[in-house]
Amino acid sequence: MSAVTALAWPVGVARRSPTFAVGAALVGFFLMLAVLADLIAPYGPTQAFPYEVLKAPGAKFLLGSDGNGMDILSRVIHGTRYAFGIAVPAGAIMVLLGVPLGVLAGYKGGVLDEVLLRILDVLRAFPSIILALAVVAATGASLVNVVLVIGFLDSPIFARIVRAEVLALRHATFVRAAVAAGNPPWRVMAVHILPNAILGATAQLPMRMAWAVRISATLAFIGVGIQAPAPEWGAMIRQGAEFVISGEWWVATFPGLALMALVLGFNLLGDGLTDILDPRRKATGK
Amino acid sequence: MPQVIARFVALRLLVSVPVVLGILFVTFMLIRIGKQDPVAMLAGPLADASTYQMIRSELELDRPLLEQFAVYVKRLAHGDLGRSWQGGSPVLNEIVTHFPITLELVVLAVGLAALIGIPVGIRAATRPNGWFDQLSRFGAVTAFSIPTYWMGLMAILIFFYLLRWAPPPMGRLNLEVVAPPVITGSLLLDSLLAGNWAALRSYAAQLVLPVACFTLVAAAPTIKQTRAIAIEVLGSDYIRFARASGFSRATIRRMALRNSLAPILTFLGTELTSLLAAASLIEFIFSWGGLGQLGLNAILQGDFAVVQGYVLVLALFSVVVFLAVDLAVLLLEPRSHRRA
Repeated sequence: MSAVTALAWPVGVARRSPTFAVGAALVGFFLMLAVLADLIAPYGPTQAFPYEVLKAPGAKFLLGSDGNGMDILSRVIHGTRYAFGIAVPAGAIMVLLGVPLGVLAGYKGGVLDEVLLRILDVLRAFPSIILALAVVAATGASLVNVVLVIGFLDSPIFARIVRAEVLALRHATFVRAAVAAGNPPWRVMAVHILPNAILGATAQLPMRMAWAVRISATLAFIGVGIQAPAPEWGAMIRQGAEFVISGEWWVATFPGLALMALVLGFNLLGDGLTDILDPRRKATGK
Repeated sequence: MPQVIARFVALRLLVSVPVVLGILFVTFMLIRIGKQDPVAMLAGPLADASTYQMIRSELELDRPLLEQFAVYVKRLAHGDLGRSWQGGSPVLNEIVTHFPITLELVVLAVGLAALIGIPVGIRAATRPNGWFDQLSRFGAVTAFSIPTYWMGLMAILIFFYLLRWAPPPMGRLNLEVVAPPVITGSLLLDSLLAGNWAALRSYAAQLVLPVACFTLVAAAPTIKQTRAIAIEVLGSDYIRFARASGFSRATIRRMALRNSLAPILTFLGTELTSLLAAASLIEFIFSWGGLGQLGLNAILQGDFAVVQGYVLVLALFSVVVFLAVDLAVLLLEPRSHRRA
């Protein structure tokens, strides 16, 4: 591939969906911070300067220091590792659990389908934040638990999307042809149905990862998730909450800004993907 | 017609019983098999084994799990929600005093969000990908990405600490103001009924920030949904036919709005129920003291009786709201009679 085509591809995507491009840029930026955190951050994430507590943003601490005398910039940069460390495995659980379940329920129907629908009913009537809160409060607040809870809670969403697609595909000619040709059911599902049913779920993934970043920070903020002094954004906002009224605004503001920017990045990415993947919009040329 | 409605309501209530029971069961088991030990929290670190056992048997935690749940459901059928493990007051009383506080906040926010979100969404849908659409879409995604509690903190920082416009975020009334007698449970209505202008003014001032934050949270998805619904309606054959027939723009817009109403209403219903739960965070930030804060504290402190009551209220509320919404849709759209 020549350098010109390598450059032309992102430009083409950006022109077709600016939303996608902005989202990709934001997520890419944070991903880079996560990878290079040790090189970029001026101090360690929990390195404390006991005599320089609650310093306003300045030359030594670009974004100020918190109540323990730790550098907020370094902590915000290292916080990206928690964000991706939760969003990526949680997203993987959602897809690996939800997609096969949706294909199976949609293709086979019967008891499995009924059970899936009832679970979806209960989950729909159950606000996700309360459920996540209750489960994490019950199971204990380790990083692994938070990831598992978020992944499990969201996998039915993928199951539902894929199930709907499969229902529409089940009687398509190419599927019937595959069955008539003597393919076993697992092969029909894995080779013929899955690739055609997975597009809708693809656009959903970044949005659910946004939700994962957001809810894990919320849990930490309430105090049941990851605990300070770990450099997790929600936990940092919690530390800063008490200082807002006394005027040390920087402690809560910067981790919140980072959290918002990354969630926004994921959401824009998802929004843009929906546009790109939706053939109706492409067809109208708008 | 009244017969259709009566049958519809009866059927829906019947169907929702297993869902509500399912939610109660899941909550019940979840909090009990977890690591939280409410007995240890109540007994304190100095309690000996016999005190610990006494509290445990008093809370009926020493019985088999399924039996505990059966007893709970039986009492529930008699309207007995039990007593709070922390304060000892009846859970029903706690809910009755806290629910209207949160309901008022949520209804105000969803109402305002609808007033902002629906016109913006429809305006955006009339020219998809025009500048207004792009702008409102970006605004909605951004508002949707702001963590609720952080938005609350920033609002306090700007409007209380920096500008000194807002009163301190310490609850619903200024401490110097005498609260009106409780009639409806809604402070807005109660202070109006009592003619207590000082309370009304203080409450209104306290309301501004939490309601504004909440409205922003609720408006973003409203814009997105309304836009999607309106685009679908505007692209339909009957609207194209109306355009071809030469109806004026205002008439066409009215037709489109009328036909978008049912799905928008359904969406606002889901919004109302999900915000009732999300209220916990805003209430926590502004020390609002409503149902959300009650539930949040109960979960954190292992007050299982109140957690159970809180979840029950959320579930029943969603049943009632969806029923009301579907009834309204039934009346709005004669088409759906057959489906009912």
